[in-house]
Amino acid sequence: MAAEHTGEAFTSPLREVMETKTYELNMGPQHPATHGVYRAILQLDGERVVSMESVLGYLHRGIEKWAEYRTWTQATPIFDRLDYVGAVLNCHGYVGAVEKLLNLEVPKKAQYIRVVLDELQRIANHLLWLGTHALDVGAQSMLFYGIREREAILDLFEAMLGQRLLQNAYPIGGVRFDFPKGWVPVCYRLLEELPKKIDDYETLLTGNRIWVQRTKGVGVISAKDATALSLSGPTLRGSGVNFDVRKAMPYSSYEDFDFEVPLGQNGDVFDRYMCRIREMRQSVRIIRQALDGMPAEGELKGKVGRIIRPPAGEAYYTVEAAKGQLGYYIVSDGAEKPYRLHIKSPSFVNLQGIETMCRGGLIADVVANIGSLDIVLGEVDR
Amino acid sequence: MTEETKEPGTPEAPKAAESAPAPAEKPAAPAAPAAAKPAAPPAPKKWEPTGEVVTTPVTERLAATFGDAVAGVKSSCKEATVLVPKARLVEVLQFLRDDADCAMDYLSDMTGAHYPNNDKKFEVVYHLWSMTHKQSLRVKAQLDDGEACPTAIHVWPGADWMEREAHDLLGIVFLGHPNLKVILLPDDFEGHPLRKEFPLGGAQEEMIRANRYGKPVYLPEDLEEAQKIVEERRHGR
Repeated sequence: MAAEHTGEAFTSPLREVMETKTYELNMGPQHPATHGVYRAILQLDGERVVSMESVLGYLHRGIEKWAEYRTWTQATPIFDRLDYVGAVLNCHGYVGAVEKLLNLEVPKKAQYIRVVLDELQRIANHLLWLGTHALDVGAQSMLFYGIREREAILDLFEAMLGQRLLQNAYPIGGVRFDFPKGWVPVCYRLLEELPKKIDDYETLLTGNRIWVQRTKGVGVISAKDATALSLSGPTLRGSGVNFDVRKAMPYSSYEDFDFEVPLGQNGDVFDRYMCRIREMRQSVRIIRQALDGMPAEGELKGKVGRIIRPPAGEAYYTVEAAKGQLGYYIVSDGAEKPYRLHIKSPSFVNLQGIETMCRGGLIADVVANIGSLDIVLGEVDR
Repeated sequence: MTEETKEPGTPEAPKAAESAPAPAEKPAAPAAPAAAKPAAPPAPKKWEPTGEVVTTPVTERLAATFGDAVAGVKSSCKEATVLVPKARLVEVLQFLRDDADCAMDYLSDMTGAHYPNNDKKFEVVYHLWSMTHKQSLRVKAQLDDGEACPTAIHVWPGADWMEREAHDLLGIVFLGHPNLKVILLPDDFEGHPLRKEFPLGGAQEEMIRANRYGKPVYLPEDLEEAQKIVEERRHGR
């Protein structure tokens, strides 16, 4: 019979004569709950985490260096490989940065098409995150539902862009194609269904007692800490900081759309989960507005030469990717190749917060915390 | 390569006539490029941003407080940029964070860049954002090769991994950083890949590539030696 839990730790008289010490536990790099090759070295006192150190770089491919050896156009597809769950958004960040450096105006229609694809990608990313995060915490069935709806979105990508995961979605200056025939009605039908499906997920998780016990009050990070650690995206907004790049520095006509930025209060795993769930509903709203307000006629691409030579200078362009603020700092020396290209990847920076979240918690909560950050190691290591 | 540089200089008519004694002239070939060399690459192009200096309330506030120490930098796409001397970098960053008119409480990004042709070889770049005033600012500081930069980790703890990354990939040392060790590269990796002199595939891979159709040559352990061989092979072909 387990003793009634009183909230106070049991102290044995033996404690005074016996010596205890912390021990080290290696979690990863091959661990299903780390979502890739990420290694955490945990210092444990019993089941409590005393301190934690992250070891990264197992997937470092030198994308920044590689891009310096390709022309501006040739470099575009590699950025899909950063966050391979949200590839469209990565492509948007890079392409937008080059357009900024070129002082290039993207046609309105192309901007709207980009918004539609971006938000579809955001939903697809959050669905996969929801499935895997729930799986980590112990709710296995969620994964099947998440994957099912994500599949419908990937089919839309396939119909429009020819690829499901790494689409190389946008060329510099605009978009490649208009929506194919019959694409928009299918998209509308999906938008009809998605809110109902999201309700279903919430029925499975939000009110579920086990889910709430595993996530509420776990991995708390205060708004002050989260800002100081440069976290971004739902990870930052879960702590109640209102920072969304789409609102703060609107790009690609986001100022035309009416949507809310969901905020949390406590900065725990549950709030980060709620932020993403509500963000999916807002994305559905944005896509609907973009499809409704889509200009019927118009150019798909701005005036771009076949050989791109931006003026010597630098540009920093950020988009709100699924994981957070994704920034591209590019330097041009007037040649046809990037001189220097740096990627501010949200997963890399968000992962800095993991130690603050895990310290003092249980080992089992480390898994919940890593899941709640929504990291993709391809983007962490670049 | 040597012949190409020599031939345009020689008049065309004698060239046809001298086609027979060409091998006799060949020993003299190394002397000719050696003499021509100082003339050919005398001025490697410096990197300089184009455009205009952008002033915002924050840059004006900085100018009012620090005077000439903070200089505006040109930007071709209307981004406010300032250049700060290394010695006063942390002071300026601290001011930017704490001053109520600037309130740059969010470090969006921190990185570095290598400019081998410039007088100061390295730049560290901070991208700041103010949550309250919704303004951004880029702060830059220039460093010599091997010169250390003071850490900003005490201003924004988020600079921790960003500085480790810049240290790893560019070899910039951040003084005062409590845990400045490799983050993305393997522990035993030699060199800093984002420096311009570092070949794309690393010395080993470049060697293999250069030798694909040639005789197998075993790489020396020393990185500089290996790079030298790679360069020779490449220009020889």
